Amino acid sequence: METLDKEYIKKLAHQIMMDVNEQEIEDIQADFAVLLSQIKQLQEIDTEGVEPMVYPFEQEVQYLREDVVEHVISQEDALCNVKEVSLGHVKLPKVVK
Amino acid sequence: MNIQKLREQDVRKRCEEALAKAKEYQKELNAVVTFYDIEEQLQNLKHIKEDAPLYGIPVVLKDNVSTKGIRTTASSYMLDNYIPVYDAHIVEKLKQAGAIMIAKASMDELGMGGTNLNAHTGKVRNPWDSDRISGGSSGGSAVLVASDVVALAIGSDTGDSVRKPAAFNGVVGIKPTYGRISRYGMIPYAASLDHVGYFTSEVKDAALALEVLAGRDDRDATSSYEEVPAYSQNIDSDIKGKKIAVLDNVMDEIQDEQVKQNFYELMQKLEKRGAIIEHVTFDDKLMQMLLPVYFIIANAEATSNHSNLDGIRFGLREEGNTLEEIMIHSRTKGFSSNVRKRFIIGSYALYTENQDKIYKKAQQVRRLIVEELKRTLDMYDVVITCAAPGVAPTIKDCENGKLSNQYQVADNHMVLGNFSGYPSMTMPSGYINGLPIGVNMTAKPFDEQMLFNIGVAIEEETGIKNCCAEVKA
Repeated sequence: METLDKEYIKKLAHQIMMDVNEQEIEDIQADFAVLLSQIKQLQEIDTEGVEPMVYPFEQEVQYLREDVVEHVISQEDALCNVKEVSLGHVKLPKVVK
Repeated sequence: MNIQKLREQDVRKRCEEALAKAKEYQKELNAVVTFYDIEEQLQNLKHIKEDAPLYGIPVVLKDNVSTKGIRTTASSYMLDNYIPVYDAHIVEKLKQAGAIMIAKASMDELGMGGTNLNAHTGKVRNPWDSDRISGGSSGGSAVLVASDVVALAIGSDTGDSVRKPAAFNGVVGIKPTYGRISRYGMIPYAASLDHVGYFTSEVKDAALALEVLAGRDDRDATSSYEEVPAYSQNIDSDIKGKKIAVLDNVMDEIQDEQVKQNFYELMQKLEKRGAIIEHVTFDDKLMQMLLPVYFIIANAEATSNHSNLDGIRFGLREEGNTLEEIMIHSRTKGFSSNVRKRFIIGSYALYTENQDKIYKKAQQVRRLIVEELKRTLDMYDVVITCAAPGVAPTIKDCENGKLSNQYQVADNHMVLGNFSGYPSMTMPSGYINGLPIGVNMTAKPFDEQMLFNIGVAIEEETGIKNCCAEVKA
């Protein structure tokens, strides 16, 4: 049964900033084997001229609000869940070395 | 116990009893992630009018509802230490209505699952039989209504995460129309499928709860301007002439004769009340695609939504020498294998070379599936089916993976409500060997009233409302 190779799965994981171990790769390969066969069935459905359905209802519910500041959180609130804070900023390892 | 009966009791007594009961059942059910200290809320009731719809009524929230100052984990280790700095829209609404929040309930991690076996705090057990699953992802909320701890518990529904556990626990589970209830402050799963939903022990309470929770909120761009009717006052169980379509794709797949018999006996009773019962069949090829279409869209959206869980601004942060290392270590340790697997599938669907072939294709097939439902609801008031092919499966069978793909349609049909955004309700219809089973109905957009009306008629026929499980504490 067709599935994805190990390196490709690792690449997919790294792309979204995660690691996977050997056992997880095997499990994912098994899942992809099923998924890829389902995708094949999906391809068989005629969707010529069918618009993708992005949201349930297409009516416009977006709006433009007045240009007034609202729903602002304080710096204290913004930082209260941060593990390392320094001088009112999120502290991270140096990016430019 | 329903909300009306609770009102007859002393406010403090009913809230303290609910909290005590939730704590007493925790060892058996494991349904709660965080218990509230309710004293401050009870004190704040003096600012609320006593005739507020949920004045002093204890409620439970799924742990993906943001609660200011109260830990909100979505049952993920990644958010184990996360304390929101704001309330979700529905929390504001519940507070205004006088509700007292007593607990945050367990769920499948980030909403990803249908068993509630994949929660950071461990599996949730079914109060009717603790060897069985609660269903998920809103399992904790469902069992706290089913065990008579509260009369109202908030959940969320992306595939069937309110309506399936409702069936397995013998309670009412509502997924209203997309946009009916604001999702501001809900930790998302998949934006185009996510709905706020909830559980009650009877239909009238479900109607009352929607009056409280529904309404436009500018902070959720998909929130609707549709007026909120007085659903509970408008309930009318006269269903004479109402057109009900039985979806045969689901019913034909169900093998359990007792489940089928329960369903068809109920249909006969509704017919005797004057309802018009007819059978419909959707394109089977499309129905076979329910699960893959859901899986592709939900995982792709989840991958994108949860890219903000990076260990930097909130949530778990692991050590690393670089920014990238911190993110990779945090996300690898913070998410379970199951969730990372789903993210990887989502990432695959979103790869540039796969977007047209997989993601866009799934969105096109979603439209075709919804058109089947729409055509039917142009001619009928509701579509009805069994909610699930049987009673709640055992934990053992789920852990062994014995149940996967057994029922391609009967186990996944409720995702129709998420694809379409149409309102959908599960409610109990009977018991098999002491375990509840349920029916599911879907109506036209914003016609929740129809669900409540037919729902009350069903309650009158089955006599099942406010039927709770006895928990061995």
